[in-house]
Amino acid sequence: MSLVNLAAVCSHLNNATKARLGLTSIPNSNLHLKLCQALQNSGYISSVVRGGPTPPPMHPILGYPTANDEIEGVEPITRDNVASRRLWLGLKYWQNESVLGKVQMVSKPTRRINLNVEELRRVVRGHEANHVDGLRSPGESLYLSTDRGVLEARECVEKKLGGLVLCRVL
Amino acid sequence: MSFARPARCVFCSFSRAATQSTRVPRRQFHPSLPQFNDRPKPDVPVIKAFGKSAKSSAKATDFKPYTEEEKAYLAKEYSAAQLEAVEAGEAAIDPKDLAKQLNERDDPLKLNYVDDFSVIEPGIDRHVRSPQSNSDYNFKFKSEDDFVQDFGRFFAELPDDATGADFAKFADELRLTHGKEENELNSHSALVPDLFGPGETLDEPRAEERKTAAEKGEKERSLEAEEMTDALRSLLLATGYTADQVRDFRLKTLVSHSVVNQTRLGKVRRAYRLSIAGNGNGLLGIGEGKSEEASDAKTQSQYRAIRNMQPVPRYENRTIFGDVTGKVGAVSLQLMHRPPGFGLRVQHLIYEMCRAAGIHDLAARVSRSRNKMNTVKAAYEALMSQRDPEEIARARGRKMVDVRKVYYAGKV
Repeated sequence: MSLVNLAAVCSHLNNATKARLGLTSIPNSNLHLKLCQALQNSGYISSVVRGGPTPPPMHPILGYPTANDEIEGVEPITRDNVASRRLWLGLKYWQNESVLGKVQMVSKPTRRINLNVEELRRVVRGHEANHVDGLRSPGESLYLSTDRGVLEARECVEKKLGGLVLCRVL
Repeated sequence: MSFARPARCVFCSFSRAATQSTRVPRRQFHPSLPQFNDRPKPDVPVIKAFGKSAKSSAKATDFKPYTEEEKAYLAKEYSAAQLEAVEAGEAAIDPKDLAKQLNERDDPLKLNYVDDFSVIEPGIDRHVRSPQSNSDYNFKFKSEDDFVQDFGRFFAELPDDATGADFAKFADELRLTHGKEENELNSHSALVPDLFGPGETLDEPRAEERKTAAEKGEKERSLEAEEMTDALRSLLLATGYTADQVRDFRLKTLVSHSVVNQTRLGKVRRAYRLSIAGNGNGLLGIGEGKSEEASDAKTQSQYRAIRNMQPVPRYENRTIFGDVTGKVGAVSLQLMHRPPGFGLRVQHLIYEMCRAAGIHDLAARVSRSRNKMNTVKAAYEALMSQRDPEEIARARGRKMVDVRKVYYAGKV
């Protein structure tokens, strides 16, 4: 679990939304994939598709690549192509504003922050805990890496899970 | 079909009221039967006679034959034959049956109030109309000769010291028709009579209040005429506000200093004013004015502030949505939402802005520089940069639920 690469992904997402890109790619890894799927579940990004160095073909109706495209299909991972795989993310915009706001790392490669359920409850209620600021703005999310994958902080509280804090999305 | 049942919170099933029926007696306004039963309906319809399940409030022993005293009392009211009939009637009914029948109704059609229907309440039970016997279908209008006769009688019977009141009385009493008097004055009508008499209404202000309001209006109009300037007139024209509204806005001049323009003729000093305007209920604007005259600069800035007024998003009309930041020049500040009753724990400039905008709970931190002018501008920028939760929900395609609203209806 490289937080260095994750930090690069966060910066890249910020740059891509500022540049108003509709589709962008990040290096493929299991952590990145899980985080992107969590972001997609929260509605921050429209699609996550694993593809090669070139963007996967667009869905004829939706206008962005989809993982369950029946016509084109997704190329399976093999030992030969695994190094060249990338995750292609569809970015969303609403009323001239990027839906994905600022993505910020909370844990740093040199300082990992873990939160238990008690601390997470405080954070979700908007208080500071373990040097992690509370979620105090509408639509603010915090993503944690837990035993059951990458989850949003509120889901973690629901499932009574603690974990490593990855990033904050505003 | 239980449309009459109130929607209940799913979580409130434990705190449900003990009685299922409405506790406040009231009229039944809807024709469908209210169903106060929460138990699931049995498969086989239960047919039960009205009042069968209700406990009888009377016993057979309660109904006793008349005593001698009572008979003597009845004898004063009734003749001997009538008394005999009454006693025969009483004897014909078994006291057991009487006890069984005399109980409170339990059926869905029962009334929610106690009434023996001995009195007709006008407006509730039915409209009180004059009786049909007042009608006279054979009335005739008086002819001219009849009226001449009436007038002749009036003048003949006129006293020596006659006044206008005499004629008014005569005119009131003068009848226009021959026939029953009630037919003309208080005739029966199929139309529903008004609940109010002539000139009566529920909400018409009293004459005194109306008068004072009119006087007030005159005063205001005279004030307006004095104060109306070209600048104010153009402001009213541009914004569509009335002079009254403009007077009621909360105006405050927050920054005032002089500025200097260096020309080849020398330094030209002018007064600078920065004002804010708000209506105390969600509108806020800032305006700057510069002029040789300080008072001129002030009015200029105030009018510009009124023109610039924009709605500030407010959560529960008291605080802001989320924490926001603003940065103008070297001033960067952070506004933080706070719970009800927290108050405005902010520095004076932001305090005045909150007062004008109608924000009651807020905390702020101004970092780096604290330049007055830029603080006001940065605070305005921060207030305007709030994100609407509805918009966020639309953008993300996810529901966002305000838990306070759901669980406490915003009353905490």
